[in-house]
Order: sequence, then C-alpha cells, then structure tokens
Amino acid sequence: MKAKKAVSLFMTAALTAAALTGCGGGRGREEAVQTANAPAAVEETAEAESVEEAEPADAEEGAGTTSAGGGIVGVALPWLGTQNWAEAEVMFKEQLEAAGYEAIIQAADQKVPQQQQQIESMIENGAQVIVVGPVDGSQLGSVLEKAKDAGVYVIGYDRLLENTTGVDGVVQFGSVKTGELQAQALLQGLEELKGEAPYNIELFGGGPADPNAPNFFTGAMSVLQPLIDDGTLVVVSGQTDFTQCATVDWDNAKAQSRMDALLAGNYSDIEIDGVLSPNDGIARAIITSCENAGQPIPVVSGLDAENESVEWVWSGRQYSTVAKPTNALVAETVSIIDSLISGNGMPETDVTANNGVIDVPVYELPPVVVTKDNAKEVFADDPDRLALLTD
Amino acid sequence: MKYIKKVLGEDLRQYTMVVALIALIIIFNIASGGKMVTSSNFQNLISGNAYVLVLALGMLMVIVIGQIDLSVGSVAGFASMVMAITARQFNLPWYIAILIALAIGMIAGAWQGFFLSRLGIPGFITTLGGMMIFRGGVIWISNSISVPVPSELKWFGAGYLPEWGPAFTGMNNSTLLLGIIAIVAYVIAQMKKFTHSGDVTGKKEAFWPFAVRIGIVAAVIGYMTWLFGSGRTGTSFPIPGLILVILIILYYLVTERTSFGRHVYAVGGNKSAAELSGVNVKRTYFLTMLNMSVLAAVAGILFVGRSTAAGPADGTSWEMDAIASVFIGGAAVSGGVGTVIATMVGGLVMAVLNNGLMLMGVGADKTQVIKGFVLLAAVAFDVYNKKSRG
Repeated sequence: MKAKKAVSLFMTAALTAAALTGCGGGRGREEAVQTANAPAAVEETAEAESVEEAEPADAEEGAGTTSAGGGIVGVALPWLGTQNWAEAEVMFKEQLEAAGYEAIIQAADQKVPQQQQQIESMIENGAQVIVVGPVDGSQLGSVLEKAKDAGVYVIGYDRLLENTTGVDGVVQFGSVKTGELQAQALLQGLEELKGEAPYNIELFGGGPADPNAPNFFTGAMSVLQPLIDDGTLVVVSGQTDFTQCATVDWDNAKAQSRMDALLAGNYSDIEIDGVLSPNDGIARAIITSCENAGQPIPVVSGLDAENESVEWVWSGRQYSTVAKPTNALVAETVSIIDSLISGNGMPETDVTANNGVIDVPVYELPPVVVTKDNAKEVFADDPDRLALLTD
Repeated sequence: MKYIKKVLGEDLRQYTMVVALIALIIIFNIASGGKMVTSSNFQNLISGNAYVLVLALGMLMVIVIGQIDLSVGSVAGFASMVMAITARQFNLPWYIAILIALAIGMIAGAWQGFFLSRLGIPGFITTLGGMMIFRGGVIWISNSISVPVPSELKWFGAGYLPEWGPAFTGMNNSTLLLGIIAIVAYVIAQMKKFTHSGDVTGKKEAFWPFAVRIGIVAAVIGYMTWLFGSGRTGTSFPIPGLILVILIILYYLVTERTSFGRHVYAVGGNKSAAELSGVNVKRTYFLTMLNMSVLAAVAGILFVGRSTAAGPADGTSWEMDAIASVFIGGAAVSGGVGTVIATMVGGLVMAVLNNGLMLMGVGADKTQVIKGFVLLAAVAFDVYNKKSRG
C-alpha cells in the first residue's frame, strides 16, 4: 500500500530531523567573521560549535571556515551571456585557485532575486571576501549589508554597487575614460576614412540599469559635444540625450531596431558617416543594420574586444573597439583579495565614487583602444585573440 | 497504520509533499555539510522567498476558480515602481508609499477583474494583456533605471523583530514569544475541536490522537522558534516571514471558513452548478482577481524592501514561480481543488531546492532544469494518485 510507504518515510524523516537538531543556529555565532587578526586555521565544521558560546561581542575571532591554503572567496557574476563575463568566470577560477583560495563562483542569469540568494549562500558557505558583478548595482542593498554584518568584505567588480553601506571597494576600468576613448577613436576613424567634415553621426548608449552606461556616454559626449556645437559633427536625428540613445539591457536586437528606425527616418537621401556605440554587440548590430539598409559601413566604436568584433576590426568592418582586458581586472581584484585576507585591509586609492550612501574607494584600470593598426600589439599576450588576426 | 491515520487525519496523500520537503531539507543538510539547517540560512530562505509565497496565496485562489494570472510579476513591479518614484519625487513618508503601492495593486486588479467578470474575456488573455501593459509601464515610467525606495521599507523586506527582555533565554525574545503564542493557539484550537468532536455524532473521539498531534506540532514549532530565534544577535524570525504567516492564517480562514471561500471552490468546481445554487460568479471572479493584484503589490513591497530599490526588471517571471508552487501543492489545472497550506508547502519545496542547490554551488542553469523536473514529477504523481483511486 502506497500510503503505508509514505508514512514510514515520514516517520524516518521526522526521526532524522530530530537527530539533526544539533546543527541549528547558536546565538553568538558569527558567520565567517574572519578578520585580520585571526589568520590561524579555525575548526572547520559548523556542527561542532557549541550553542552556549559566549556573548556575540567577542565573537570577532570567530568561527570562520578556513581551508588550508587561504580562505573562501565568493564571486557573484550577473550572467555568462557575453564573452567578458564568461572569461571572468574562467579567470577568477584559475587565478583564485592558483593563489590557494577556495572559489565559489555563481552566475545569476540576469535575475536580481537569484543573485541576492546566491550572495546569501556564499555568506552561508563561509566566504571571507565576496566579489560582486551586479545584475543591478542598486538592488543588492540589504543583502550586502548582511554580508557586512557577518564580517565579509564586499568588492564590486566592473560595476559600482549603489545604495548600500555594505561595499568596501570597486574595481573597474575607468568608465568615463572609456567613453572618451570611444569618442576619440570615432573621430580618428572619421578623419581617416570619411574625408572632410561635417560628418553625419548617430549616438548609442548602453543599458540604463548599468551605472557605467551613463558614464560611458558622459565621457564620449565630453569629446563630441564641442564638435557637435561647432558643426563638425551633425547628429541628424537630433537624439543626443542619454535616455533617447540608451539601449535597454544592452540588448543588441533593440539597438538594431533603433538603428533601422533612425536610418529609415533620417537617412533616405544622405549617408551616415559614423556611429558612437557603447559596446561590440551593439556595434555589430549597428553595422548590420546599415548594411541591410544599403548604406556604406560607417565608422563605429565599440567596447570589450569580443572575438567577433576583433575579427571585424581586423577585416575593416568595425573601425575600433576598446579592450578592457578581463585578465587585468581579475588580477587586480585578486591582488585586493590577497591584501584583505592577509590582514592588510583595502589598498590605498585616491579615487572614490559616491554610491548614494557612502563614498566607495574605486580602483580604476585604463582601457585600451584597438584598431586594425595596433591590434597585433594589444593582443600580443592573448593567444586566443591573436589567433583571430589572420590574413 | 490505523493509529497514524487517527493522528494525521484520513487523507494521508496530502502529506506526500510534506515528506518530500523534509526529505529535501535533510538531504541538502547532509550534502552541504550542515549549512542548510542553520539560523541564518533559514532566515535567508524565508526572506528570500516570502514574496513568491505571498503571490502563491493569491494565485491559489485564481487557479481554484479555474483561471490563471500571468500579470502578477508585472503588477508587482509596476506597483513598487510607482511607489518608489512618487515617494522619491514628493519625499513621501514610507506608510503613504505603501498605501500608494496597494492602491495601484487594487486598481490593476479591478481592471483585470472587470475584463474577466464583466466582459467574459478569459483570465489567460486578460492577464497576458496585463503582463505587457504593466511591464511596459514599469520600463516607461522608470526609464529603465532603478529607483531607491524609502529606507524604512527595508524593514518589510529584510527586517527583524526587536530584541528585548532577559538574555538567559539564549534567543531573540520576540521570536520566542511568537513561538509560544503559536503553540498555545494550536493547543486551544485542538482542545476546542476535541470538546466539540461529539457534538454531531454524539460519539466523542479518543483524546490520545489530539495529544499526539499537539505534541508533534508543538515540537516542530518549538524547534523552528529556536532555529529562527537563536541566530546572530539582532536577527529573529524575519519580518517578511511574519507578514507571510499573518497572510497565510488570513487566507486559510478566508478559504476554509467564509462563504466567499466556499464560493471560490464552488465556482471552480462547477461554474453552472454554482450559478444555479445562487453563487454570484461574476462577483467571485472579480474579487479573486482584485485580491491577486493586491497581493502582487504586497509581494512587490517585500521585494523592493529587500533590494532597497525598485528596478525595471522586478517581477520578471515571478508568476511562473507562483504558479509552480500552486501546482506542486496539488491544485488541479481544471480548478476547484487546492489548499492554502499545500500551496505553501509546494512553494517551500521550490525554495528549498533553490537554496540547497545554491549552497552546494550548483549553477542556475542546472537548478532550472531540476526545478522543471520536480514540477512535472509532483503533478504527475498527483494525477497518477487520483487515477488509481477512482
């Protein structure tokens, strides 16, 4: 009889549950408070801890879980859908394990609730440092504060963590600088390929939920705006506000439809010379749209040096991209982790960014413009991309 | 066997999912090396899933009347975004902000209820439209940028009960008090049931099954109280969990003890029969849809409280989680069947799966696959059971 089976299962379950009672909470136990003054190896298992531990105030030396080599590091990534994030996953794993840490790396499939729960599970797993590449930088507030309360260091990776006190620093490529470089590369391409001014251009921005996107745009406009004002550049559609130019979710398809609409509406009898694009995916969407519309390929900027775009730059379809070597960013992050876990705290930096609540130390790396002329030099240490540059 | 039946009641089938839930918790606890059953993880489990369970409460009633609501995620996102934007723009206090969100939920629900009950457009179509309208609305009004919410709202999404009283209890005294209240309330309810057990049949039931039942439930509540209450100082049973418990009790009473609740089941079971016996079907449809959207707004508030900001993608695919919870809880696709408690168990099965797999470092991709299989298996098991019975 089925019911009988179910009941016996139920009983077993209930008994086992009772047997497991010992592994519950335990007031006064701080999750993984592994601060600077407690580098010594601590007892591993949570079950072993006595419930009647002392007052929480002196729990500082804590009951963190420490594996032999170094410690546990959590890495929460937004998704693995673009090349730079997929690379980041692999590189974090390699570099953290090479440095002797146990790495917990999870990607959130672009879902905020998923990422919140992943970060919580990293805290549960005893992570001492959590690196967060946020899906939405402003929606992790209470979870990151929970990490802070548990004594876990939080480092923002590639994007600012806003609207929370629970962040210790952010590692990223200078995003305003990136925008400036994109605009300069666009100008250089226009002069090189499209003859005399004035040039007809259009502007694209990134996903508004990504705090970097407006910065890219601001950086680019700081270069372009004076030239728009003096007539060297003509934005034919007149759309120069970030909100008009933004591409929701960095979605290439949305960028392509916008470009289709811009071309159909404004370029029936003139040619487009250049387009400011915030990343490579959008750049390719723009180029495809122009080709479909029978336009000559405009000078287009990019970002991320994705493989396909590296090929396009090499073959001349996309004028430029900006490389933000994931390797360098991961290496910088790991060096900060080293400093934190060995008890030296956050390294010095003079750059800070206000996240709406506190000033967050920022560790900025300079990005690199890639055109056909310098591609071989830029990727000299990157065999995968170098292999794309064939004749 | 007979004795167990006496304790648990005649219908043992409803315990299958409870068994599955307990088994999952134990398996994950062993597999993760004891990280599953800890105060902080259970607190996470509740605050991280309260919004889905709140949605599932409303979705249960929608599914029982034989409809479906695809718009709940979008309504939740829309209500909380309107709340965040108006609160920021006009510097409103948090309680006004909450009222605004609930009002938006009510308006959205009335809108959907109108199309379903007055115009007779199927709920699937009405709410598919609603899903697009409100999702588009969120993106439109927010320009796709997240908006911080008043900081007091964090209490609703990630807050804890206050600490007070003596420290010798070794736990959060608010949680302890709640646990004691829950046990006392259960004892009183069971005793009442016992004293009235002979009222109709004239034959009093034996006392011992009540005693055993009280013992088991008191032990479970007691353990949960200790588990939630004995975490890090400053933590307790989470506020979103408390809100959820209050809603569960409320909706348990509504569905089991009120005439509206009976109408909901009657309409879902056989619409024409219900109509002939004097049930106002249109009113039942309307109120159920209205209720769903108000609960969606509540879910939105809980989520943005936890997130500290309302985002343009909030609510995406929440309806699917809610619907899955209801069906895992044993509701019938054709309507008329399903209970509040079973739905909550169904939702917790999903939540525990998610949480346990995450603790073990299983990726989101595989988790998704596993959840899909569990949904199928649970419903298939249910269907098979019903067939083999009748």
